[in-house]
Amino acid sequence: MFLQTLITGLSIGGIYALMAVGYSLVFSILNFSNFAHGTIIMLGAYIGYFLISWFYSSLAISLLGAIVGAAIFALLNVSLAYIPLINRKAPPLYLMITSMGVSIFLENMVYVTVGSHFYSFPEIFKKSSVSFFGSEISTLDLFALIFSFIAISGLHLFLTRTKMGTAIRAASYDMTVASLNGVNMNRLIGVVFILAGAFAGIAGVFLGIKYMVYPTMGWITSKAYIAAVIGGLGSLPGAVIGGVILGILETFVSVYISSVIRDVFSFSLVIIFLVILPAGLLGKYLEEKV
Amino acid sequence: MLKVENLNVYYGRIHALKNVSIEVPKGQIVTVVGANGAGKSTLMWTLAGVLKAKSGTITYNGKSLPASAHDVAAAGVILVPERRRLYANLTVRENIIMGAFLRKDPEGIKKDLEFIYSLFPILKERSNQYAGTLSGGEQQMAAIARGLMSRPKILLLDEPSLGLSPLYTSEVFKTILQIKAQGATIFLAEQNAHKALEIADRAYVLETGRVVLSGSGKELLANPKVQEAYLGVRHKAI
Ligand SMILES: Nc1ncnc2c1ncn2[C@@H]1O[C@H](COP(=O)(O)OP(=O)(O)OP(=O)(O)O)[C@@H](O)[C@H]1O
Ligand SMILES: [Mg+2]
Repeated sequence: MFLQTLITGLSIGGIYALMAVGYSLVFSILNFSNFAHGTIIMLGAYIGYFLISWFYSSLAISLLGAIVGAAIFALLNVSLAYIPLINRKAPPLYLMITSMGVSIFLENMVYVTVGSHFYSFPEIFKKSSVSFFGSEISTLDLFALIFSFIAISGLHLFLTRTKMGTAIRAASYDMTVASLNGVNMNRLIGVVFILAGAFAGIAGVFLGIKYMVYPTMGWITSKAYIAAVIGGLGSLPGAVIGGVILGILETFVSVYISSVIRDVFSFSLVIIFLVILPAGLLGKYLEEKV
Repeated sequence: MLKVENLNVYYGRIHALKNVSIEVPKGQIVTVVGANGAGKSTLMWTLAGVLKAKSGTITYNGKSLPASAHDVAAAGVILVPERRRLYANLTVRENIIMGAFLRKDPEGIKKDLEFIYSLFPILKERSNQYAGTLSGGEQQMAAIARGLMSRPKILLLDEPSLGLSPLYTSEVFKTILQIKAQGATIFLAEQNAHKALEIADRAYVLETGRVVLSGSGKELLANPKVQEAYLGVRHKAI
């Protein structure tokens, strides 16, 4: 029971981490909370869902399509909605409000085009499980956990080993100086959104499989936002640690106390964190945290 | 050659640079000296493409400089900004390598890194440390090193001796001469007028946004007005 809960918690934490990474990447560069991120995750889930329905049971195609599709949506989002504001030197608060607008716009576009149905992914993994030291562990949980781990490690390698990755970390500290070094800031911001979008696509598919696909599912990502705040907005390791902590705690609360109290618990946790550690576990930015 | 003509720059309604004209010939050290708030940094940031001029022209080898900072860097005009502005969250080595962002010659980058480490051996020792942990003088060396990694055609140095001890200051000025000897063109803003004028081929004095004097470094060193205002020499009033 304990081990099973732990793995489930870790896998939910992994999904939270995937989502939180997107928030943190954008926050680290542009200092605003991109509330459209949840909506991009929702779009990723729809893309994944429709692909898996057409190419029955090919999770690979579904994931790949969701990654590419969500990355394209994220890139459109930043190019059409944020870059014009950034070029006019709009303060982060304006970007945040715009992101809320984008989110409402996209959600309603989904209502108008796809409708308000709840879709559930075909039961690829849902029922199967593996035995592990006497505990039954769902294959989905295990797969989500491993996949999240690989994706996040890949991102870490990209950020630490490549020129563009190093430039992203540099720009997160001082964007003006990065441009003195020859970094085209609009292009770098584009890369950041493509990365955030790709992670949104993965998270969307896993969320869709675990729960359902529906227009407002993006709001689940408020959990990821909590994870990012706990870890420290703008910090990638922080986002991962925050996601995993939240996932594990929530699962234990659901299993050992009550699942009704789970969300009350998460939101209380973030309030306590903001009071005690306003910058989160690893964050260093205090301003504009909303 | 870098040529600035009738440059006017504003911060809102503050007129920070007034009809500034300056020439930086190839291979020379040109310095601009002036008190706090004279507009030296404003000039530097405008040359680097970060601040926009309201009017006036900046040309480099006859062509006007591009509008955005990253294109200015690509054209070989590289600013080492005031107060170093290192990436504190990156290691010393990563900071220096950021200077090579636009370069696509891994071999050349490796060679230049070795050259820079020979210029500043302490940076080699500190290469895996976060830049935020360096001392002020070491940070200045790292900032210059980052600028050099861009293989600048013109290096803009904004107060490289700021906050440094006399020993480090001499070290920095020695380095500037070394860089010049490698064929680079240097445009230097300094409050340490004495040292700057000593090494400068040409110099300008900036006062509240206006060029009030210009000449060779030696001429300005000998100029009584400059001596009084910037070199701390007292002339007896008769
Ligand atoms: N961001 C800004 N907004 C408004 N005014 C500014 C800004 N930056 C500089 N100024 C003003 O422009 C003038 C020139 O400033 P600048 O920083 O160019 O001077 P400086 O010669 O570099 O001085 P220092 O030697 O102290 O570095 C000053 O009067 C300063 O107050
Ligand atoms: Mg200055």
